[in-house]
Amino acid sequence: MVENNSESRDGKVTRRQFALGFIGAAGLAAFGSLLSFLKVLTPAKEGSGYVPTVKSGDKLVYAKGSRQGSLLKASDLQIGDAVLAYPKGKTKNVANIVQLIRLKESEYKPPTRVNETDEGFVAYSAVCTHLGCIVGWKRNNKDPEASIIECPCHNSMYDPALGAKVIGGPAPAPLPQIGVKVSKDGTLVFTSGFSGPIGPKV
Amino acid sequence: MISKWLDERLELQKFKDKFLTKTFPTHPSFLFGEIALFSFITLVITGIFLGFLYEPSIGKVSLFGAMVPAAYASVVRIDLLPMGIIIRRIHHWSAMIMIASIIAHLARVYFTSAYRKPREINWLIGLGLLGITLGAAFTGYLLPYSQFSVTATSIAYYITESVPWIGDWLARLIFAGEFPAHATVPRFFFLHVMLIPVLLLSLIGLHLLILVKQKHTEPGANRNRKEAQAGRRLIGIPVWPEQNYISVSLFLFLMFVVVLMATYIPLNPIELYGPPSPEATVMRPDWYFLPIYGFLKLIPGDLSFTIAGGKISPEAIGGVFFPGFLVMLLAAIPFLDRPKEPQNYIENPLHRPFMTSLGIAGATLLFMTTLSGYIDVFHIAPSAMAIYVIVAIAAAWVISYLLLRIYSRSGKKGEHVKN
Repeated sequence: MVENNSESRDGKVTRRQFALGFIGAAGLAAFGSLLSFLKVLTPAKEGSGYVPTVKSGDKLVYAKGSRQGSLLKASDLQIGDAVLAYPKGKTKNVANIVQLIRLKESEYKPPTRVNETDEGFVAYSAVCTHLGCIVGWKRNNKDPEASIIECPCHNSMYDPALGAKVIGGPAPAPLPQIGVKVSKDGTLVFTSGFSGPIGPKV
Repeated sequence: MISKWLDERLELQKFKDKFLTKTFPTHPSFLFGEIALFSFITLVITGIFLGFLYEPSIGKVSLFGAMVPAAYASVVRIDLLPMGIIIRRIHHWSAMIMIASIIAHLARVYFTSAYRKPREINWLIGLGLLGITLGAAFTGYLLPYSQFSVTATSIAYYITESVPWIGDWLARLIFAGEFPAHATVPRFFFLHVMLIPVLLLSLIGLHLLILVKQKHTEPGANRNRKEAQAGRRLIGIPVWPEQNYISVSLFLFLMFVVVLMATYIPLNPIELYGPPSPEATVMRPDWYFLPIYGFLKLIPGDLSFTIAGGKISPEAIGGVFFPGFLVMLLAAIPFLDRPKEPQNYIENPLHRPFMTSLGIAGATLLFMTTLSGYIDVFHIAPSAMAIYVIVAIAAAWVISYLLLRIYSRSGKKGEHVKN
């Protein structure tokens, strides 16, 4: 029974130690091979998230409310108003959603792309750069010019007159801007793509 | 007759003598764990009902003429069944009560130092149970696939993605691709009704097995009772029949409270939230996630840096490192507060100034970060709120420590005089 003791004499490996070591190594290898299954459980991204399909020339439509899907008119918005909008026919892709805002044209200062605003209209991606909620409009009724974009989820605040610069809260980056103009029939049209990537910057 | 028939085959009398005579200390604060267990049982029973009717898919189906995700439609149909909405609310309320009672149980064990040697293992299992229960709540959030579900889960997706180094991989593992993927709801359904309950059940079993083996701690006052002087280890009442009456009464009372709340207090009204749509409404998570939610609001967006190729973003700090740090601290406690001898009596929290004041500081942290979730309501700037949070925690810690110190000193002096 001496050689069955786990303690070996004169530093030699006993049969039992060898067998235990072998079983241990085999078990470890078996477990290691199981880890490859983790790859099966992590599907690749479909590339569907936040790839805007909006093109220059797309008309703006209401994103929600009773007029959802109908064309936006410049006369629908007063100074200090804002509305969520989609490009017509591309309302299934949330990356396309924009916050359309009307302020006084003279209010816009760089880093706003002033050549992409028209008659006081400016449009930014409505997907918050913090954690991807859809931003809201916090109208300042006393001074409509001082209204701001605010995300309802974690209160990130953006200044619409300064290129949607972050003025408060946890958002790491401004909202990308997209060019808009008022066409001859009074509807609103996109004139460019977004100025940057859409969605959270994590 | 039946009991005799069973006893001849299963030796029930032997089982009864061995386990049902286990002593149970009689203190009401020892019942929090039982409340958690009963809530879990309620969750399983109502969950079976819901599982028969729920459809884990986001394929579009017609509901009253509108095309909505099948998961959402199936939950609306559950709500329309006789008692359907009540059972769904019982499920939701029980989840909240389970989490609340686990937290109360944890606080009881912490403040009375019942976690000390030899009960470190059960302390860790208990923390695991809390974590997994929160996981169950989180996966359950998504299942109705309402506007609220999708917004909340989307936030969680980006927090997961913000985990340094492994975020992308981890997010794809948990959410089965990039949320909202078609595979997310089936995966969450599987986690919620299969993997997590099995884990919970196993850990609850282990928790109780270790409890039976190690026995309860008991109030320190028991030391002086004559049974203890005569060498008896644990003073209390046997599981059968006395404790059994208390437990059954407690379960029935809990059911009464839960059914009453489910009947009269609306909860997660998915018909009001509606199916997923681009909405801009205030979304606050259930109360147990509010500390993380509030903490996320406090961190400035430009606070980010890179360590060894991993980006530490504000979301990672608020959503990963903050709760991770709290859990690690809790897990470390029985290894920091380490008596030489095994401890079987609990202690009066008023006589442990440091640990009790640390616990009070921790509770203040959770309370203040919860409050931070409402800075938009109170119109407080995040930077100001961050200062209030730090000041409140420091003040709670220092003041409670000093007061307890004075109290325990005077108490010890009093004892000394008596002796």
